[in-house]
Amino acid sequence: MSVKYIPVQWNRNKWIYDAIVLSAIGVFLWIFIHLTPGWLSHERPINAQVHNARAFGACAFAMLTFILCIGPLARLDRRFLPLLYNRRHFGVITVFVAITHAGYILDWYFAFSTSDKYEALLFANTSYGQLIGFPFEVFGIFGLFALLVLSTTSHDFWMKFLTPRIWKALHYMIYPAYAAVVAHVGFGVIQDLQNDLFTWMVGLGAGVVIVLHLVAARHETRAGDPSVDAEQGWAPVADVTDIEEGFAKIAVLPGGDRVAVFRMDGKLSAISNACAHQNGPLGEGKVMDCLVTCPWHGFQYDVRNGRSPAPFTEKVPTYNLRLDGQIVLVDPTANPPGTPVDPIPIPVVDEART
Amino acid sequence: MDIAAGILDFVYIWGIIGGLVALAFLTFGIDRIDEDARGAYMFRVLIVPGVLLIWPLVLWRWWVLETGRDKWPLRHAPPRRSHSAVWIALAVLIPAIFISALVLRPTWPAHIAPERLEAPIQ
Repeated sequence: MSVKYIPVQWNRNKWIYDAIVLSAIGVFLWIFIHLTPGWLSHERPINAQVHNARAFGACAFAMLTFILCIGPLARLDRRFLPLLYNRRHFGVITVFVAITHAGYILDWYFAFSTSDKYEALLFANTSYGQLIGFPFEVFGIFGLFALLVLSTTSHDFWMKFLTPRIWKALHYMIYPAYAAVVAHVGFGVIQDLQNDLFTWMVGLGAGVVIVLHLVAARHETRAGDPSVDAEQGWAPVADVTDIEEGFAKIAVLPGGDRVAVFRMDGKLSAISNACAHQNGPLGEGKVMDCLVTCPWHGFQYDVRNGRSPAPFTEKVPTYNLRLDGQIVLVDPTANPPGTPVDPIPIPVVDEART
Repeated sequence: MDIAAGILDFVYIWGIIGGLVALAFLTFGIDRIDEDARGAYMFRVLIVPGVLLIWPLVLWRWWVLETGRDKWPLRHAPPRRSHSAVWIALAVLIPAIFISALVLRPTWPAHIAPERLEAPIQ
């Protein structure tokens, strides 16, 4: 949490996370370069420059594949949430690995002519009208460009400045970027390799990413937050007895926003489910002393007014509630972020039944 | 070659304009539209590359915030609903790309031994 922005909000967990990522990269590169040249069609004599380019390229693909698996895994099983915690650093490190790959390629394949190497990259192969021999470099350029946009706009400032809607839309570039990277690999190195192990690794990696996202989407449809309809301006979101003390029920309101209705000290309060930091699911956090903690990065909000405790300044919208018997009704029109709303008491008779 | 040079010129000009926008935005603009940036300077170095890449978006958001046109409800409505549709499309597109690449992969006659070419006689 920040009162003023700082370059990187380091803490012990982030140091550990980054150390594991960097160690894994080192191990991957060492295995690729020194242990498995025979497995990966490196038995033919290629020079160190090409060898390193392939190693860093393969590493970037593996990292991107792993990053894309984190989101659906965390949605399917909360035990994967720690992987989500510092995914931004993972992404930034991936960009550096991808740039290293591009650097080796440029400094070998395009460096020994009188032309500028960047210019040579663009005009060396312009066979855009055919699939065999298609200039696969263009897919890599797009993938790298997309990763650069994502990594350079990953600081907390950007989410607040652009708004979550625009920021998320911008970061949807990761999906066409991944498709482009598959095309870059498929129409690039896989065309040349006579050994199928690398081909299988790429195919399986992309397959796992696709299956995980489809399974997570199906899970959200079947077991995710329920959608509710408004009746006479109020939307029934839950039976009060279904809300556990200190926790929340999440519902998707008619406009598509998610509301989290919390129960604490025998009273109900409702705030937006989207954390102002990175849109983490506040309704999956636990309430203590009226403060809910976002399960993604630990940002806290008072569920009675949607405000982070001083000196922090984050705010989320609040919602008006009322009870119709046992049913909790929400006014789908959110209050401006940080608007105090008095918690509504749960009738004692209902408390006894829970 | 001319097109390649033109593309690089475009990138160069884009970067120069981005640099000017970054200079203006990070020296005085950011303080006017974000209270959390006031008195915070080190993080601005990390913001520069992003401004270089998406400076038109930066200019537009700067104008929206400066003129009070920002709509707060949109801040809390991330586009989660399109996520499933995107992945259904990618579940078709990515295998299509990969299978096409495999189908098009050339197979060389195994019985022909590679031949080392001699350097041309000067």
